[in-house]
Amino acid sequence: MLDSFEIVSTSGIVLWSKKYAIVPSNVVNSLIANVFIEERSNAPATADRDDASAARNPTYKTDGYTLKWTTAKDLGLIFVAVYQSLLHLSWIDKLLDNVRALFTELYRSQLKRPNTTVVDCGGFDGYFDRQVQELELRASAIATDSGASAAEFTPPSSSGTDRSAEERQEEQPPPMPSLKPPPAKAIYDDTSNDATPVPTPETSRPNSPAVNSHLLAAKGTGPRGKLSRRQRQRQNMAGSAPASSGDENPRRQQKARSSKKSRKWEADGTAVSDDEGDANLDYSSAPRDGPTSAPAPPIENVAQESWGKRTGKGEFVLKDLDEEMDEIIAAANAKKEGRKDANAGIVGSGLGAIGGLFRNVVGGKTLTKEDLEKPLKGMEDHLMRKNVAREAAVRLCESVERDLVGLKTGSFTSVETTIRQAMESALQKILTPTTSLDLLRAIQSTNAGTPQRPSRPYVLSIVGVNGVGKSTNLSKLAFFLLQNKLRVLIVAADTFRSGAVEQLRVHVRNLQELSQREGGEVGIYERGYGKDAANIARDAVSWAAENAWDVVLIDTAGRRHNDQRLMSSLEKFAQLARPDKIFMVGEALVGTDSVQQARNFNAAFGAGRGLDGFIISKCDTVGDMMGTLVSMVHATGIPVVFVGTGQHYTDLRTLNVAWATRLLLS
Amino acid sequence: MAWHDVDSWPTVLLGPTLTGILVTLLVAFLIPILLHQFLYRARTPKTLPTFLILGPSGSGKTSLFTQLERGTPSPTHISQVPATATATLPPSITTESNRYRSTEDPTLLAQRRITLIDTPGHGKLRHHALSRLSAPPASKTKSATVPSFPHALVFVVDAARLAPGSDSLAEAAAYLHDVLLALQRRHARARTSRGPGTVPVLVAANKMDLFTAAPAKVVARALEDEVGRVRESRAKGLLDSGGGGEGGRAEEDEDAGWLGEGGEGRFEFRQMEEVDVLVEVVGGNVLGGGGPDVQAWWEWIGRQL
Repeated sequence: MLDSFEIVSTSGIVLWSKKYAIVPSNVVNSLIANVFIEERSNAPATADRDDASAARNPTYKTDGYTLKWTTAKDLGLIFVAVYQSLLHLSWIDKLLDNVRALFTELYRSQLKRPNTTVVDCGGFDGYFDRQVQELELRASAIATDSGASAAEFTPPSSSGTDRSAEERQEEQPPPMPSLKPPPAKAIYDDTSNDATPVPTPETSRPNSPAVNSHLLAAKGTGPRGKLSRRQRQRQNMAGSAPASSGDENPRRQQKARSSKKSRKWEADGTAVSDDEGDANLDYSSAPRDGPTSAPAPPIENVAQESWGKRTGKGEFVLKDLDEEMDEIIAAANAKKEGRKDANAGIVGSGLGAIGGLFRNVVGGKTLTKEDLEKPLKGMEDHLMRKNVAREAAVRLCESVERDLVGLKTGSFTSVETTIRQAMESALQKILTPTTSLDLLRAIQSTNAGTPQRPSRPYVLSIVGVNGVGKSTNLSKLAFFLLQNKLRVLIVAADTFRSGAVEQLRVHVRNLQELSQREGGEVGIYERGYGKDAANIARDAVSWAAENAWDVVLIDTAGRRHNDQRLMSSLEKFAQLARPDKIFMVGEALVGTDSVQQARNFNAAFGAGRGLDGFIISKCDTVGDMMGTLVSMVHATGIPVVFVGTGQHYTDLRTLNVAWATRLLLS
Repeated sequence: MAWHDVDSWPTVLLGPTLTGILVTLLVAFLIPILLHQFLYRARTPKTLPTFLILGPSGSGKTSLFTQLERGTPSPTHISQVPATATATLPPSITTESNRYRSTEDPTLLAQRRITLIDTPGHGKLRHHALSRLSAPPASKTKSATVPSFPHALVFVVDAARLAPGSDSLAEAAAYLHDVLLALQRRHARARTSRGPGTVPVLVAANKMDLFTAAPAKVVARALEDEVGRVRESRAKGLLDSGGGGEGGRAEEDEDAGWLGEGGEGRFEFRQMEEVDVLVEVVGGNVLGGGGPDVQAWWEWIGRQL
């Protein structure tokens, strides 16, 4: 069973929620933090032009809960369904999509109001409960029995069906009994073959436009439900056509359509499987033209009135809500299709193209995927020239595209400028750490200790591929710490490469001379070559604790990141030495491989332990081609802590995000 | 018949006819009344004073934001984008500028409205708030969409999670340090000797209803100590990579990175008054009954108007 369903705005306010069980608030918070802000989902981001259907968004699991979500970008809404991971609820995707269609249609005007966050959606409970009941019922029907009882589980309402059947009767005299109109399909498509609503031919109710309008005039002021469904449908279409929601997925719909078995219904109600009837079913274009081409402004008022009354009544409400719901969803879906066609038409015509060019200069252009395609490709190439790994560049461009599609450019800004700004903020977002690291403060508090845990030395360890500058950066760090009058112990845990210990000894001798002038103290802990590095590190840490060193810096052997044998020893190292921070040194010169390096090293320390930061070395050698910064952060979500900018002990810097962004976009 | 004929309308109006007299009387008496109505009712301030709500994640910014706007807090999650709303002061609060005004004055209502801006507190999204602190004030920006410098800041902290040495205290203090430093830089960059004007900062110690919450005085002290520590470790820390080479930032004077008074000693919020930043720590709670509520914060907001 569903635990809770929430509609949250991107500004963090819960607009509407339904709780069936108590769900800790941090469940949804962690979804927002990890998926939306840090974009840490493993599945490839779907840069679909519109809000992807819930089924295509990756599922998020945390704390024994499974979260399914979907978004409505233009209104800044997130729809989240939470349920226990033990359960398998197949209808959640459908529910999310339907609720999104309903909610955006019903409260669009309220959501668009500026300078307020109040959305009065108290009446949404009824709609939601009904949706859940319906979907649950159908899901259980599928589970228990799928074959014989199909007809029973036809949902109570088949308004879409009726509507389009009538419509068609008007336009093309001989009605096809086996027609399956697209809107109805859009609602119920992917549940099951057998549970799909089956249209019944409307032979008993001949309808003509003349009769119709007469009925309308007579019943306009009558009580609820007297309007024919077709009219209500029309109002819906006419009333909400200019506004556009973004929630339909033509591809999925088509897929469902092709996999469905067609069935004809005879007059006596028996189903006849009909294999050659496929051609008849393709009415995807007819109903679309039908309702949109028939203008129906005069009945607008009536519609509002009857709508209001309907929701206010007790018994009727349910059935009517049902119809209304279906209509809204169907309208949203149909409108979507219509909009797509219109788009193609205008953009294709010469006038539209000229207008587009003009808008491009003056601004105020609504961006579409097509507009963005070329400039984004240019941006991607630019990033790759800056040594950003392809994977990261593509992801950045996709996130920019997702942000921009549907937006209007500002006055006198071209598409390129807009993309540039968006890319700048995307880069800033990816490079800015979630929590900034204040190394000195962390060392201080560890050394000081608290009543709960005794004071101990702060252990820093450095890992990386061969020859990236681990020892050099380690000595730079040691120099920085020495300047702050700390006692630093350097541990030579590289017992592998000849000359590694001697190299550190030289560094320590140099640093000792400096520290005599500046204060602070530096020492080296070495056990020669060939021993197990992890044991040396553990011994060094305990020795340092006994002798009251402030900081322990552990240098490790360089290892190739795809050598399983060498990497596996890192896990033991992390367990024995238990470093407070593990930094990985990556060189700015490396290209696409940086992504793999970062990933493999991050995964090498076993479950529950990863890297804490990157030190990007040799930044002075690449000029403005700082792509490695982005690639590594992209791969792991771990921030860059320090940047090596030269050969001297003093050439270690913290990362200035604005500076890096400027270089990358220059 | 032309207008200057004997029995045309100007002649009739000027003559001693009843209509002429009535029209004249109407005009004579209505114009002052209408003028009064127009001048007094239509003159609302063009830009409402803005209050920027900031603070670390989870401190209750969005809750406070909805509480101030609607009167009741709404359940919230992590914010991703800033939100703007107009709020009206509750009738019990008198604004500073209206202390001596009659309560019947119709213009009072217009001046009781403020704009609130809620910003995300997540580490990656603080640029939304910080970019506003270096923006020009609203009177200088032409369009309403460009972020402008707020009238006052409300920095929300979770008073129940400010135990000495805790990570949440460090995070809050680091953010507060950045905010105050941005304000100090703004003051230092001002061209005129008058400075860019005072900026009131309310440190709203939220969640006072909780048992573990520290009182406002303790919160102030803890934050001052921690900001001092942040200031010290920033000064000792490494330079950042934007410095060298281009020369743009290197020219900034040494003091630019040091918050408050130069020299050693404890950091105090009082030191910020030198750069026209008035920091005040007030306790309250948004959720949960029994605490001091948001009344004190409303009063603070009223004092700033």
